[in-house]
Amino acid sequence: MNMFNLFNRKAREEKIVAIQNNNESYWTIVRQQFYKNRIAVFCLRLVFSFVFIALFADFLANEKPLVAKYENTLYFPVFKEYAVDLGISDWQPEFRNVSWKDLNYDFVVWPLVPYLPRNIDVINTWVGPFDTQNVESSKWKHWLGTDDLGHDVLAGMIHGTRIALLVGIVSMGIAALIGIFFGAIAGYYGDDKLKMNIPTIISYVLGFFIAIFYAFGTRSYVLTDAIGTSFGSFVVELFWSILLFVAIMAFFRVLIFFINKIPLNFKKISIPIDILISRLIEIVVSIPQLFLIISIAAVVAKPSIFIVMVIIGLTTWTGIARFTRAEFLRIRNLEFIEAANALGYKELRIIVKHALPNALSPVLIAIAFGIASAILIESTLSFIGVGVPAETITWGSMLSKSREVSSAWWLAIIPGFAIFITVTIYNLIGEGLTDAMNPKLKK
Amino acid sequence: MLKYILKRVLIFLPTLVVISLLTFVISINAPGDPVESMLNQNVGGEGRSGEKLANEKTYNEKRKELGFDLPMFYFSITNSTYPDTLHRIPKKAHRETLNRLSFEYGVWENVSAYYHALRALESKIFELMPNEKNSSKIRNIKDNINVLYINYDEKKMMQTIESIEFDIFKDSNIKQTCENEFYDFKNSYEHMLFNEKTINRYIPVFYWYGINNQYHRWISGFLVGDFGISYQDKRPVSSKIFDALKWSMILSVLSIFIAYIVAIPLGVKSAVDKGKTSEKVITTLLFLLYSLPNFWVATMLIQYLGDGDGLGWFPTHGLGDLPESAPYWDRFFETAYHFILPLFCLTYASFAFISRQMRGGVLNVLEMDYIRTARAKGLKNKVVVWKHAFRNSLIPIITLFANIFPAAISGSFIIEVIFSIPGMGQLTLQAIFQRDYPIVFTVLMFSSILTLIGILVADIMYAFVDPRISFSNKK
Repeated sequence: MNMFNLFNRKAREEKIVAIQNNNESYWTIVRQQFYKNRIAVFCLRLVFSFVFIALFADFLANEKPLVAKYENTLYFPVFKEYAVDLGISDWQPEFRNVSWKDLNYDFVVWPLVPYLPRNIDVINTWVGPFDTQNVESSKWKHWLGTDDLGHDVLAGMIHGTRIALLVGIVSMGIAALIGIFFGAIAGYYGDDKLKMNIPTIISYVLGFFIAIFYAFGTRSYVLTDAIGTSFGSFVVELFWSILLFVAIMAFFRVLIFFINKIPLNFKKISIPIDILISRLIEIVVSIPQLFLIISIAAVVAKPSIFIVMVIIGLTTWTGIARFTRAEFLRIRNLEFIEAANALGYKELRIIVKHALPNALSPVLIAIAFGIASAILIESTLSFIGVGVPAETITWGSMLSKSREVSSAWWLAIIPGFAIFITVTIYNLIGEGLTDAMNPKLKK
Repeated sequence: MLKYILKRVLIFLPTLVVISLLTFVISINAPGDPVESMLNQNVGGEGRSGEKLANEKTYNEKRKELGFDLPMFYFSITNSTYPDTLHRIPKKAHRETLNRLSFEYGVWENVSAYYHALRALESKIFELMPNEKNSSKIRNIKDNINVLYINYDEKKMMQTIESIEFDIFKDSNIKQTCENEFYDFKNSYEHMLFNEKTINRYIPVFYWYGINNQYHRWISGFLVGDFGISYQDKRPVSSKIFDALKWSMILSVLSIFIAYIVAIPLGVKSAVDKGKTSEKVITTLLFLLYSLPNFWVATMLIQYLGDGDGLGWFPTHGLGDLPESAPYWDRFFETAYHFILPLFCLTYASFAFISRQMRGGVLNVLEMDYIRTARAKGLKNKVVVWKHAFRNSLIPIITLFANIFPAAISGSFIIEVIFSIPGMGQLTLQAIFQRDYPIVFTVLMFSSILTLIGILVADIMYAFVDPRISFSNKK
C-alpha cells in the first residue's frame, strides 16, 4: 500500500512537471527571441558593465592607493578600508588623518582615477576637460573636469553609477515583493476562491491588529531610536519587529487550526480579495509619487537616499501587481493548476511553485521599465536638491551644478548623458522583453 | 452611463479620504512647533515673569485659535501608557517628552504630576528678582529646567536635577523662595521613578475623542477652501496656491493638448508607413525622445539657446516683466515667448509616448479581420486607415490621459523650477526650503486631487468611446 502510494505520488509529480515543461519551453523561446534582438542584448551587456563599474567603484576611483610600499611595508589601503568599515581592522596611527597623495611611497599603484567624489581640489575649480589644469602630472589630471569646489567629475560619475544602480535595484526589489504578493493573491483567489468561516476571519483580523500593536506599536520608540543611531541598527530592530509580527501571526494560525477542529458548522463566506486589492491599487496609483516624496523629504529630519528608494518602491508596485494579477487570472484556470488543485496540494505551494514561475514574464517587463523611471525620479530629486542629502554626489546633483555657471558645459553634458543612457538602456531592455514575449506584435 | 459615472465618483471618495489621511500623518510628523512658526517667536527661556506669562498666553490663544489644542483624530488605539489628555499640554516638544516619559515609566498620572511640579518650580523661579549675586544661578536653573522639558534620559535627568539642587541651595534667597516647590518636584520625580509599571506598555487601549479633533477641523476646512495660513507671509494658503495653480494648469493643459495634436497623426503615419526607412528613423527618434530626462533637456536648452552664454534666442527666466498697464496683446506675446522653451520641455516626452502608443494601437487594429474586409471591398487605403482603423485605435490612447495628466503635473513641477515660472513647482520648492508646511501639504492634496480627476475623466471618456465598459461593469 505504502509502496503504491509512493509510486503514485511520483507519477503525479512527473505529470505536473510534464505539463509545466510546456511552459518551460516558453521560457526558452522567450530567451531565444530576446537574444535575437541585438540592441536589447547590447543593452544588457551595458548593464553588466555598469554593474561592474558600480561594484568596483572603490578600485577605479579612490583617494587611496591600491598597493603601496611605505617605509618598507606593503599596504593595500583600498582593501584595508573595507576591513576598517566592517570594524574588523583599524588604521595604523600614521595613516589617520593623512593626505594619501602627499605621502612618500617607495612604490605605489594608484587607481585609475586617484580621487574620491568628495575630494576637494581648491586650485582647480570649474576646470573643463580641455582647459589647462594646475596638476603635477597627467596622473592627477581631472579627465572630465571639476565643479565649483574642485570635485573630480569622473570620480563622481564612477561612484554615481553605484547610486543609480542601487536606486533601481532597491526600489524595484521592494516594489516587486509587494507587487507580486498582492497581484498573486488577487489574481489567484479572485473574488470567489478564498473561502473562510467567520471565526477564522475574525481571528485573522484580530491577530493582525495584535501583531501590529506588539511588533510595531510598542516598539515604535525602539525603532525610532535605532534610526537615530545608525542604518544598520535600524535594520536589525526592524528585523526583530518583523519576526515578532510573524510569530504572533503564526500563533493565531495555530489558534485558527484548533478553532476549526471544533465540530460546529460555521458557514463559509468568500472574501472578495480581488476587489479589495484592485481598490488599493487604484488608491496608490492616484497618489502623485513625486509630490509625496518631496513632502516626506521635507518632513524627514535626516534626508537619506534610502528613504527615497523606499518611497519609490512603496509607490511603484502597482504596475507589477497589475501584471501579476492579470497573469494569475489567466493561469488559475489552466490545466496544470487544476491538476495540482485536484491532487490536494497546499495553496501556498501551488501559488509559489506552480503558478508564480509562469506569471513572472510580464513582471520582468514592468521591472525593466520601473528601474528606468526610478532612476529618473532619483536624478530629478537630486537635481532639485530635495530628499537626497547635499553631500551625496549623484549624477543629478552634478548636473544641477551646471546651472550655476553656464560655461561649465562638461557638467551639463556628461552626467545628463549618463542618466539618459541608463534610462534608455532599461527602456530598451523592457522593449526587447516585450517583443520577445509577444512575437506577434513584432512581426 | 450616468450610473457608471456615479459609481466612479463614489470610488473617488474613499481614495480622497486615504490621501487626506496620508497627508495628515505626514503633516503631524513635520518637525518644529506649528504655533511657534506662526508666531515667529520662542516662548519661555529668558525674560521676566510677566513677560513670560504674556508670551505663554499669546501662545495658548494662538494654539486654541488654530485648533492645535484638540486631539489628533477621532479615536486612538495605543498602549495604556499613552496619556489621553496629552493634547492639552501646550508646546510640541513638551508633549513629545511627556509621551516618552509616560512610555518609559508606565503611569501617566505620575508623569503628569512631575510635569506640573516642574512648571510650578519654574514659575516660582520666574518670580524671583535677580540681583547681582544670584543672577547667574537663576539663569542656570532656568536653562536646566528647559533641559528637563525636552529630556527623557534617566541619567541626564538625574544630573540636571542635581545641578538645580546645587544652585538652589547655594543661595539663601533662592532657597527661601522655592525650597518647597523643589522638594515637591523632586518627590514627584522620585515617585515617578520608583513606581514604574512597564507592563502598561503592553496593554492596548482605545480612546474615542469624537468629531472635535484636528483632522476633522483640517479636512472640513479644506473642503470649504480654507487651507490654513502660510508661515512665511501670513497670507492664506488658498490665495497663494491659486495664483500659482493658474500657471501650472496653463502649462500642463497646453502641453497635453499639443502632445495629442502632434502625436496622433504622427503615430498613425508611422504605423501605416511601417517598414519604410523614414518610419524607422521616426520611431527611433521618438524612442530616444521618450527616454530623454526633461530636466537635462531644459538645462541644455537654457545653456545653448538661452540668453545667458547661449545663442540668446529665448528668454529662460520667469514670464517677462511687462507692467500690468502694458497692452493686453503685448503681455500675451511676451508670456507666450517665455512659454516656448518650458512648453517644449514639458511636451516632447508625453508626445513621444503617445505617438508610440498610437502606432502600436493602429498596428494592432490593422491586423483585424474587419480591416481586411474593408480592403477586400476595394476601399482606398486612406479611407481604411482613417475611417476604420483610426477610430478604434483611439481607445487605448484615451486611457493614456490618466497617465499623461499626472505626469504633466509633476513634470511641470521640475520645469517651473528650472525656468523660474511662478507656478506650483516653485511655490512648493520654496515652501520646502523655508519649512512652510501648510503650503507643502496643500500642494500634495491638490496634486492628488488633480491626479484623481485626470483618472476619472479618462475613465468616463473611455466609457463614452467604448460603451461595452459601462455595461460590462453592471453585471
